[in-house]
Amino acid sequence: MGRSALMGKLVKAEFRKILSTKLWWGLLIVALLVAGSWAGMLSSVFDGIAAELSGSEVMRLAGLELDEISFSVVFLTRAINIATIFPMLFGGLAIASELGRKTITTSFLTAPNRTMLLGAKGITYAIWGAIYGIAIILAATLGIVIGTGGDHLVGFTTWLATAAAGVLSCVLWTLLGLGVGALIGSPVGTVIVLLVYGLALGPISDLVFTGFAEGDANVAGALPNGAANGLTGSTAADTLAAEIQANATGMSSVSSDLLEGFQDTARLAAGGLGSFGLFASAAIFLAWAMLFLALGLWRTQSRDIT
Amino acid sequence: MHDGSGRIEVRQLSKNFGSVQAVANLSFTVEPGSVTGFLGPNGAGKTTTLRMILGLVTPSEGTATINGLPHDKLGHPARVVGSVLENEGFHPKRTARNHLKVYAAAIGVPDRRVEDVLAAVGLTEAGDRHAGGFSLGMRQRLALATALLGDPQVLVLDEPANGLDPEGIAWLRTFLRDFAKQGRTVLVSSHLLAEVEQTIDQVVIISHGQTMYYGQLDDLRNAQRPRVLVLPSNQDALSTALREEQISEIEPADNGRLAVMNTSARQVGDIALRAGVAIYGLEERHADLENLFFQLTSGQYAAAAPQQYGAPHGMPYGTQPSAPYGAPPGAPYEAPPGTPYGPPPGTPYGAPPHGGYGPPQDGWSQQGTVPQPQGQQPYQQDEGNTGWEGQR
Repeated sequence: MGRSALMGKLVKAEFRKILSTKLWWGLLIVALLVAGSWAGMLSSVFDGIAAELSGSEVMRLAGLELDEISFSVVFLTRAINIATIFPMLFGGLAIASELGRKTITTSFLTAPNRTMLLGAKGITYAIWGAIYGIAIILAATLGIVIGTGGDHLVGFTTWLATAAAGVLSCVLWTLLGLGVGALIGSPVGTVIVLLVYGLALGPISDLVFTGFAEGDANVAGALPNGAANGLTGSTAADTLAAEIQANATGMSSVSSDLLEGFQDTARLAAGGLGSFGLFASAAIFLAWAMLFLALGLWRTQSRDIT
Repeated sequence: MHDGSGRIEVRQLSKNFGSVQAVANLSFTVEPGSVTGFLGPNGAGKTTTLRMILGLVTPSEGTATINGLPHDKLGHPARVVGSVLENEGFHPKRTARNHLKVYAAAIGVPDRRVEDVLAAVGLTEAGDRHAGGFSLGMRQRLALATALLGDPQVLVLDEPANGLDPEGIAWLRTFLRDFAKQGRTVLVSSHLLAEVEQTIDQVVIISHGQTMYYGQLDDLRNAQRPRVLVLPSNQDALSTALREEQISEIEPADNGRLAVMNTSARQVGDIALRAGVAIYGLEERHADLENLFFQLTSGQYAAAAPQQYGAPHGMPYGTQPSAPYGAPPGAPYEAPPGTPYGPPPGTPYGAPPHGGYGPPQDGWSQQGTVPQPQGQQPYQQDEGNTGWEGQR
């Protein structure tokens, strides 16, 4: 029997493991709620602000027509970034919960070797990361449609690019979580470490580093959280900047500074603080995910199951 | 590719956890067609050894192989070896049936095999209940069902009687004997000799991570000959009188008694009467395995250094004409000269009744009575294309 046939069996077993308990379902529901409500709430609030600002002095000076700018894309990426917490936790528990419940014993005994088992988990959880990603994007999009009343929708190509980046981000967060879980080994420890980094340490360090760098690309963009946000945020920020540029018909020396300010604000709002751009961010985040997967594999190889 | 022999070989195996040596230079072989007991007190290193055989714990030194290969080189390990380990490996919210389906998929056997093994351990009715709600005995049965999924050639069980009721223990005993009769291999650990005495043919006794005895259980039984324990008024006078009657195997025993071999209570009494020695107590002792087991393993917690009767370092067992194991200090037990610890040369290990356990392609499992419901094609172990896939 070939290696790929063996791998197929292990992947099938992993799918059965996931589908025979409720974790995937519980985390997915919460991810959808968070993505949808976050996108809906932010876009709804901004829609109101936009209505107030429309035709104001500043806007006239800059020559900007807010209705012409697909600012909703910012909320799409924001919603994705916050919801990636859940696929990350899902991946984190892949091996950690097996170690915690000692089902890892049987998993090791029925797999040809540990490397193949981890390979099968990697494939399975990459697929599940994509499932989470697609679901999260659909929920966030729905949230924006509801939040803006359908007035300020994202252009299709922008949406597609952001969606693709979002799915990739979810896949990589899941794999990074998988590696961290395998490295730490305890389910509780894994969840705590991932949550503390994803919700507090990552965003705060991004802000601090970017503050020192005065908004330029910096070390924050090279860290996992910054790189992930750069992956999802770059498309949105570039789209917005371009639209603002194209829309700024009443260009003047006064509005030139203002325009730059708008563009910076758009980048900031879209996330991706200190990011190195779309492809560099993708490559950096991929490297982080692979590093943690490799560390997890190394730790799993040497772990004594007593 | 593994050799299909069904043999477990442990060679000079050691494991240190930090500064604690759990297993020290352990060597033994488990042959197919027999049930081998792996005995020792709790903490003697049994579980660690079994887990090294199964590739769950990496040895510090030495090797443990099944069919000539370490576990991670077996290719389809669950079709070679099944195991029942500690009572932990279930997700509490997963049903028994789903648990088995997960591992049926990983092994690559069809889902109907799940029903076979559930029936084999008597869990068909409970199959849709969560494993978290199972009693200890039911969990043991589910663990055994999991072990049987791949229709393995070798079974390794760690204290399987734990949590089983007397009926369950009797059932397990019959099951393991039948399994071995088909020419398959069973290695079963226990801290109680009495628990497995009726099940096992061969025994490996360890204490403090070292081998105390390795060989046929019958040889161990025969090694302890009947003796007479006598409490005389004058030990020296009685000893002299006995020696005059060519009864020379005499040892001091506990409480001022003498242990006399190759005689009877009646003979000792008669000799004492003729010698004018008063007898205050007289008792015949026959082979008592439990007592012997206790003596062999009690060194673990005694003050005496266990190395005194430890394994000869770097020496494979069973290859020496007379292995230098001394009796525990002060114990009224002495190995008869010329009786080596270890399998006697030329003694076959329960040769399989039907021409034995051939390589997998000989279809050994077709002789089997283990979970093969009627009307279904027997599962044939094969690395090629006649396995489950071929039947689908």
